[in-house]
Amino acid sequence: MIANPNILSEDKVKENILLRPVSIEIKDVTVSFPTPKGEYIAVKDINLEIRKGEIISLIGHSGCGKSTLMSTISGMVKPSKGEVIVNGKKVTGAGPDRGIVFQNYSLLPWLTVYQNIYEAVDSCIKNISADEKHSIVERHLEMVNLTPHKDKLPKQLSGGMKQRVAIARAFAINPSVLLLDEPFGALDALTKGSMHVELLKLWNLDNRNKTIIMVTHDIEEAIFLSDRIVVLNNGPAATVKEIEIVGLPRPRNKKDIVNLPEYKTIRERLLNLLVEKFSIEDEGVKFEE
Amino acid sequence: MDKSNQQLGATALKVVTYRTGRFLYFLLGMSFMLIIWHISSLSTDGELPGPIQTFSVFYDLVSHPFFDYGPNDKGIGNQLLSSLERVTKGFIIGSIIAIPLGLIMGSSTLGMNLLNPMVQVLRPVSPLAWFPIGLVAFQSAHTSTVFVIIITSLWPTLINTAFGVSTIPQDHKNVAKAFGFSTFKYITKVMLPYTLPHIITGLRLSVGIAWMVIVAAEMLSGGVGIGFFVWDSWNALSLEKVFSAILIIGLVGFVLDKSFKSLQTRYSYDS
Ligand SMILES: Nc1ncnc2c1ncn2[C@@H]1O[C@H](COP(=O)(O)OP(=O)(O)OP(=O)(O)O)[C@@H](O)[C@H]1O
Ligand SMILES: [Mg+2]
Repeated sequence: MIANPNILSEDKVKENILLRPVSIEIKDVTVSFPTPKGEYIAVKDINLEIRKGEIISLIGHSGCGKSTLMSTISGMVKPSKGEVIVNGKKVTGAGPDRGIVFQNYSLLPWLTVYQNIYEAVDSCIKNISADEKHSIVERHLEMVNLTPHKDKLPKQLSGGMKQRVAIARAFAINPSVLLLDEPFGALDALTKGSMHVELLKLWNLDNRNKTIIMVTHDIEEAIFLSDRIVVLNNGPAATVKEIEIVGLPRPRNKKDIVNLPEYKTIRERLLNLLVEKFSIEDEGVKFEE
Repeated sequence: MDKSNQQLGATALKVVTYRTGRFLYFLLGMSFMLIIWHISSLSTDGELPGPIQTFSVFYDLVSHPFFDYGPNDKGIGNQLLSSLERVTKGFIIGSIIAIPLGLIMGSSTLGMNLLNPMVQVLRPVSPLAWFPIGLVAFQSAHTSTVFVIIITSLWPTLINTAFGVSTIPQDHKNVAKAFGFSTFKYITKVMLPYTLPHIITGLRLSVGIAWMVIVAAEMLSGGVGIGFFVWDSWNALSLEKVFSAILIIGLVGFVLDKSFKSLQTRYSYDS
């Protein structure tokens, strides 16, 4: 195997990352929910330091606590132990410095596509004229190809369209941190591909200063987009199982990177981390045959 | 093309037959009622007026609805309008009080704890019990009738509004939090739109009860109004007029309910 000079070694990547200022610190975070059967610990003792401009993917099995961790960073859920620090300030509540795409889109059903985005822009971006606000909305509608649908209500949209509205809304408020909870989950492969490009464009536009945390179930997507991939254990009391560093050089080309041996190694490692559970079930099936 | 036309025709036919079906049932029910009415009239030897006498009186009443020959001789239209005016006033004032209180009650535990016990105790009281209090307070039978309607219109609106606000889904609240909505924006873009269908349900119930209560209240207050007309006709021993009034009260109540129902469907949304 010939070493590709563009591929950075893990140590080199770590070094580069450490040059940047800290964006998000997750310190000893435990989140539990009161339930009728007592306290349910969703995630436990999570420690994670994310640097400015990093793209981080969170991967883990359904129900392990990915959304819970995202809500904790956004300030919507209070950790029962530990703290989250964003841009040097302890998180005590939600704020427009963190744009969020909710897993269930969370559009307001009585507002049109346009209004859903406009109301967010209107409350998050002060000191600009209404005209400028409108042009921000138009631009982001264009970005997600929803301009022809801007006057529709959420109930008139497909799942993928709703998701794109949610993405446009989160991007439009121009936050320094983007929290994306399965933002491309309901999209077809083609749209997904173009949304990946849009996401990276946006990130490049801002000199790669935006920190992005994204939950995904799609390993290829995670490798293509991320600097690091955080794999969570299964819940309850999920912890960080492994952090994979993706040393692939940017800009990445989807077609080219899949042939790189480094890509295959990371993919293999992630699959092993995530899929061991299924192989046991497969054996069970074979046993029955 | 042919097939879809056929299908269209079939659906249209279904709608038509459905409508005619409903109308036939309506006719059937009505004739059944009229027959029973006629028989009971015959069996009381005409002491209870039958449909035919009643409809001739009804026709007289509605063919000259507006005239005013002094305090005890006014057209049915005048009576009806004065009742509607009282209900409208009372209903509007009651709603203006009930909606904000409901919003407060639904959105804060403090508000709920403060207001709920009072609401629970006062709600079961017949609004007519407030009539004497109104008389003392306002020294006027007319105002005190409006006062009774105000009280009547409070409870359903208050309770439905509070319920609506307290069931705003966490998702919607999260959107407001995540995107830093001001309190004003939260109220106008989340709370009110979500609660509006509940508020309208409350208003619909309120106006329905108010229309029932006005008849009784006007029997107490006297002077003018459809309730007073019923009482006055009874004193004049004209049961035909009483029956006619019942019919008119029913029709007006039906129209009121229908209009609020159409508001309800107009402002309901599904996510
Ligand atoms: N408000 C809550 N009250 C009680 N339990 C909760 C609450 N929110 C989440 N949980 C529990 O915490 C665990 C993690 O939930 P979470 O939504 O974070 O999972 P997830 O990793 O995002 O799953 P998915 O991939 O299916 O979206 C689940 O077992 C869930 O039942
Ligand atoms: Mg989730």
